Amino acid sequence: MNINQLIFRNLKKNLRNYYLYVFALVFSSALYFAFVTLQYDPSMDAVEGSVKGEAAIRAASILLVVIVSVFLLYANNIFIKRRSKEIGLFQLIGMTKSKIFRILSIENLFLYFGSLLIGIFAGFSFSKLMILVLFKTTGVDSIASLRFSPQALLQTVLVFTAIYLLIMIMNYTFIKRQTILSLFRVTSSTEITVKKLSRFEMVMGIVGLVLITTGYIVSSKLFGGDFTTMPQLFGAMIFILTAVILGTYFFYKGSVSFLLNLIRKRKGGYLSINEVMSLASVMFRMKSNALLLMIITTVSALSIALLCLAYISYYSAEKTAEKNVPHDFSIIDRESADTFQSALKKNNIPYSEKSIEVVQVTVNASQLIDRSLDELTINPKAMPLPLISEKSVSGMEVSRDEVVFTGYDDLLQKFMPLKNSGTIKIKGKTETLTQRYVGLEDIYPVSWYFTAGGVPTAIVDDAIFKKMKKDIDPKVQKESSLYIGVDIKNKEQLEKADKLFKSTETYKKLYNESRHEISTNQKKNMGLMMFIVGFLGLTFLVTSGCILYFKQMDEGESEKPNYMILRKLGYTQSDLLKGIQYKQLFNFGIPLVVGLLHSYFAVQSGWFLFGAELWTPMIIVMVMYTILYSIFGVLSVLYYKKVVREAL
Amino acid sequence: MLSIMKLSERGNKIMSILKAVKLHKSYGNKNNKQHVLKGIDLSVEKGEFISIMGASGSGKTTLLNVLSSIDQVSEGTIHINSFEMTAMKEKQLAEFRKNHLGFIFQDYNLLDTLTVKENILLPLSITKTPKKEAEKKFEQVATELGISEIKDKYPNEISGGQKQRTSAARAFIHEPSIIFADEPTGALDSKSASDLLNKLSGLNENRQATILMVTHDPVAASYCSRVVFIKDGQIYTQLMKGEQDRQSFFKDIMKTQGVLGGVHHEH
Repeated sequence: MNINQLIFRNLKKNLRNYYLYVFALVFSSALYFAFVTLQYDPSMDAVEGSVKGEAAIRAASILLVVIVSVFLLYANNIFIKRRSKEIGLFQLIGMTKSKIFRILSIENLFLYFGSLLIGIFAGFSFSKLMILVLFKTTGVDSIASLRFSPQALLQTVLVFTAIYLLIMIMNYTFIKRQTILSLFRVTSSTEITVKKLSRFEMVMGIVGLVLITTGYIVSSKLFGGDFTTMPQLFGAMIFILTAVILGTYFFYKGSVSFLLNLIRKRKGGYLSINEVMSLASVMFRMKSNALLLMIITTVSALSIALLCLAYISYYSAEKTAEKNVPHDFSIIDRESADTFQSALKKNNIPYSEKSIEVVQVTVNASQLIDRSLDELTINPKAMPLPLISEKSVSGMEVSRDEVVFTGYDDLLQKFMPLKNSGTIKIKGKTETLTQRYVGLEDIYPVSWYFTAGGVPTAIVDDAIFKKMKKDIDPKVQKESSLYIGVDIKNKEQLEKADKLFKSTETYKKLYNESRHEISTNQKKNMGLMMFIVGFLGLTFLVTSGCILYFKQMDEGESEKPNYMILRKLGYTQSDLLKGIQYKQLFNFGIPLVVGLLHSYFAVQSGWFLFGAELWTPMIIVMVMYTILYSIFGVLSVLYYKKVVREAL
Repeated sequence: MLSIMKLSERGNKIMSILKAVKLHKSYGNKNNKQHVLKGIDLSVEKGEFISIMGASGSGKTTLLNVLSSIDQVSEGTIHINSFEMTAMKEKQLAEFRKNHLGFIFQDYNLLDTLTVKENILLPLSITKTPKKEAEKKFEQVATELGISEIKDKYPNEISGGQKQRTSAARAFIHEPSIIFADEPTGALDSKSASDLLNKLSGLNENRQATILMVTHDPVAASYCSRVVFIKDGQIYTQLMKGEQDRQSFFKDIMKTQGVLGGVHHEH
């Protein structure tokens, strides 16, 4: 057999064993090529024009390269170790190291660039789909036509060639460093040392759990008002990150074995097959993969959290817009309103108008708020608030000595919580009224121009309002004291009305706003964000899933003798397979659950900065992630099935 | 099965636990066939401690594998405890192994992620024996084999001799019909080996356990009550210990081995 045949045979054998590696390679090159194609495609201008899509996509493509190269280097590391015996054998029969390196390089060249070629083809067809998805999520109306871009091809080939060279350098140093003897001795990376749980590990296990829990607790209080200054807030975030990441490491290093050991102790030596296969093996193996698992968990938590937040913000775009712009159109002066309304009439679009008189008053609310926010320059003793009459809000009844607050921004509420009762002082130019505070409503009656984007609106009795109107302090007044909301009666005409609105003079004036426009803009921004985070997340999911799968392949091979013993003892294949499913529940389930928990707490701590809906978008994202991730668990079980069958 | 038992009672004969008739085993395809077992007849009685000896390549390991249901015969029948194993399917075989067979291997075959006790209790866990009963059986067998002290240790924390005794305890704990031992002393030093063999013959006597051992060590064979010699896939001869002591039985074995030829003393 000559060298060429040898290479060819190796290639065939490897292709069968590492189909998932090939798949991951094809997948990542396809994704990269698709991204770069998008970057160079003229039809992207439609997206870019509004949201600076190119910069975002370029940043994403760099991240993509980082993920992909780390993954490929790591996978290569696993494979070369697996083949160390073969390399040792070649050396034993007299091949020189450089010849072996040449064989490996050529073999890799075929495997690698073959996959790259397929990947580029797939990526090109894929990019059409991607741009369709992108247009759909961002709401851009444009025809998705794609040209083949030689620039994109060149960039992709260059980047992947660089990664290939890196891999070759790694292989070269690996072969150079090894002696024949050590090549035969290189143990597979999942080799385990079985020892009694040391006290140190127990302590580490407990510390890990404590760290994670503390991180979670602090994260749930992050915006609870305990950290009010920026340095405090920043410090708290750093603390959470460190505690959780370090805690995750300790968790894998110690807590898993610690907890499983507790369960095992209780069995008194009498283990069922499921426990034999799962508890006993997971206990020792997780420890040796602690660092890898920590990285996988942290990055997946990060990508799930980002995806959740982007989706929350996309999902609640309309609700957010409603808070800022309570009617279809918010206009702040009569003249503009008239211009717009006559245009509506001309086009036969029926509408309704709601006008509200708003005055600005200075309020001393120190009885309700006991902390001041220096960063936001809000002083509870002299807060400028918009004031409206009870008549402006339908169904609202306020007696003469009372005041109701409404539409207090969620985020601001976290920093400056209001007490449930107390009195406030409303200052006009000369007079000061003392009103009893009776509660907070969740209605947003006027646009954000009047509320400075977040402070509550005060509602008082109509007579009091009239009194205050005569006594306004000109220093705190805004230019306009009239809010005009215009609602389109037939929502189907909304888009037409929006176009009309943009064509009139009314639109040019600042603070006259269309809710439709705000909501579509938000969707565009968040759509692109979601698109990028989504595809990056997918790449990460696939690569980390592959790494876990490769690890399981190794583990399966090294546990083969155990399966032989168990089968000799009389366990059937299906007994063993059940045990393996149970074990994979741990192997894939633990990192998944920990990752989901991390991201849950991350999202929980700050989701209100991004939108108005938490549960639906978060659960959708998490369920999707879990399903995709489980595929790798299922694939690994199928692999084990083969191992078990061959064991006896 | 019932009639056989009655017959043996009436005749006051010892019932045979294992009965193999005309075993043939060949590997390979039509063009390149290798005939490993060429018609072996063997029967083992209850409470017997029997060893099978033969040179490398004589077929003794293949014989053990087919007798213990791990490999299938090409021709012939095997009955264990009157069950015809050669007619069973994979699932039934597993079922059969868990209830009727015990194994001791040269390289111990302990699960290194399980403690000594957990390893020993495995066969009881398959048959879902109640925990209390399992505990009792464990105490008993662990005392007999002298491994109570190390029950919470992992296999890589104990010596080879201790590992093999653990393996033996696992083979005995569920009181199988027959125990197959494949070169159990092969990896042990001579002291641990004689220690183990003493323990095995002790168990053989106390529990009336049936043991079939494959070995090429005449010392190990001399602990048995009967030695069967195999050459080229056929039974060459057999020796009975009878009333003689171990030393003289050992000499007999050596002599036969010399006649058999080609068998080199490896210890």
